[in-house]
Amino acid sequence: MKIVSCFSSLKELAPLAEAGADEFYTAVEGLPAFSVGFLPDRDLAPAIKKAHALGKKIALAVNAIHAPATDKRLAAIEKRIRALDKLGMDAFIISNPYLLALFSGRGKRLRAELHLSSVQPVFNSLGAAFFTRFGVSRLILPNQLSPHEARKILALCGAKGIETEIFDYRFFGCAYINGRCHMHKPDHYTLKSAILEGNLCRINAKPGGLVKLGTLDLPGRAKELPALVNRLENRFTCGGSPRLSNAAAFFDFFISGAHYLKYGTRHDRPEVKVKKVGELRAMLSLAEKLSGSMPKAEARRAFVKELSRWNGGGF
Amino acid sequence: MALEKGLRLGTMTLEALKSSGGLDAALKGFERFYLGPEFCENLIDASVCGEAAWLQGRGKKICLLTPLISEKGAGLLDKVFKKLLKSVESGKIDPAGLEVTVNDFGAIELAKRNRLPFRLNAGRLLRDNVFDDTGRAVTVHNGLALKFFRELGITRFELSTLGIRPDVNFAKGAAFGFDRRDFSLTLYYPYLNLTTTRTCLVGMRDVPPEESVRGVDCARECVISSFELAHPSIKEKLLIRGNTVFLKFPDKFYASEKGLARMNVDRLVYAPFP
Repeated sequence: MKIVSCFSSLKELAPLAEAGADEFYTAVEGLPAFSVGFLPDRDLAPAIKKAHALGKKIALAVNAIHAPATDKRLAAIEKRIRALDKLGMDAFIISNPYLLALFSGRGKRLRAELHLSSVQPVFNSLGAAFFTRFGVSRLILPNQLSPHEARKILALCGAKGIETEIFDYRFFGCAYINGRCHMHKPDHYTLKSAILEGNLCRINAKPGGLVKLGTLDLPGRAKELPALVNRLENRFTCGGSPRLSNAAAFFDFFISGAHYLKYGTRHDRPEVKVKKVGELRAMLSLAEKLSGSMPKAEARRAFVKELSRWNGGGF
Repeated sequence: MALEKGLRLGTMTLEALKSSGGLDAALKGFERFYLGPEFCENLIDASVCGEAAWLQGRGKKICLLTPLISEKGAGLLDKVFKKLLKSVESGKIDPAGLEVTVNDFGAIELAKRNRLPFRLNAGRLLRDNVFDDTGRAVTVHNGLALKFFRELGITRFELSTLGIRPDVNFAKGAAFGFDRRDFSLTLYYPYLNLTTTRTCLVGMRDVPPEESVRGVDCARECVISSFELAHPSIKEKLLIRGNTVFLKFPDKFYASEKGLARMNVDRLVYAPFP
């Protein structure tokens, strides 16, 4: 398993490579991309050169599901992407199917690879089969998918030579489904006051302070109230990874042969990015060491035990 | 353009509608019934085929809603599709009077593999692939987005009311590479699906670090209740039913059926529950 790291500044590339990143990806404001944290457009060409000089591949996220464009604007987007393709961009991460179709098929195919973003979430092998027809060479799996549920997807991808990528459960994991969520911004509701980064998910609520729920009136389940309160808070504050993602889930994906582990919080500060990639590298090294030195079940137990002691990294 | 009126039963069965005394009024008031789960695969149930046949027998048209699916949901949906095909073969269901709404590209693939003889619609969880309905407008991204779905046989798209009459870019279709006659819209009211997760508040308990789950547990909480949430940062009340958070827009959002036609809406679907 290799590590894919985001970056949003040229200066971040060398330290991230040193911390353990095997591949890079970024996004620019001039092209439709999901979330925040952009590399200045003028730095894209130098970034390709620098990543390659470091011996690493580089991908560009053009993965906004909302990609409104007049025909004139779309022509400009296409021209820019084909120019970057010629410059040596290794892959484009895409979510909207119409953009995927624009760059696949006879006569339209890019030299670069096409990766299906988790913003176009695939939860079943039928969906995976659907998108592989558009020349996708890598599937970035949504983090609300368990390794058990992903077995057929992984098998299909293995048979077709398609790579798979998962997120580090510790640093990414909204409870809601990316690409199907309108919670982030007050497009349909009214805010009482301004919130952090204009983004509801990052509401600055202290743990334990948001949900006022005194009793749980469910037969035999009253003791679950604190856990339920915690879940509700996580849902409305971006306060933690969804419950399907944990240490055991990562290990099972690792053993199943998922190819890439992603860290993708582009708006993190440069030093935080480097530290987090170091954490990914440490977790991966541990999984490699344990799985290479003991039977699978024993390695899994030891891995989970070790990760349960992880202190959060101080982020 | 005649406006068709539909009723989305949600988690309510026809039997429950009958017990509540609402079945006769529903049969009188609505031409099309929306059956099946729109958001959760745990509720997929082949008994919906019997309901569809019964309603068709009373002159009603049907739209079968299907949710986002994992491998488990794909298996359940496959059974429903195969049962529908049998019902068509035996003459119990008229394929011309039944549509299937998909909310997952895997469901489109499954429908194609089963060679379903039904018209497919793109559901509310797929709307962002074609439309931007954030803010006060509903706009088509580009004609290529419509073309992508048209080539899959899909020209009807489902949206929720925004509580206002939104601006649309349909008259400027030429600049965006589309013709407004190429698609039609179904509008659900009064609830807008704001976001969806896979794990329900009560049904899916916390997973300990040593456990890697086989799937999403279910306590069927959505069948009996929804939760109302007063968020400290939001003026409106949020409604949580099962795995989806909704907003309610109770006010009338259109002045006339002509106004809806200008938005390409030729079908309104009333959802009594979120």
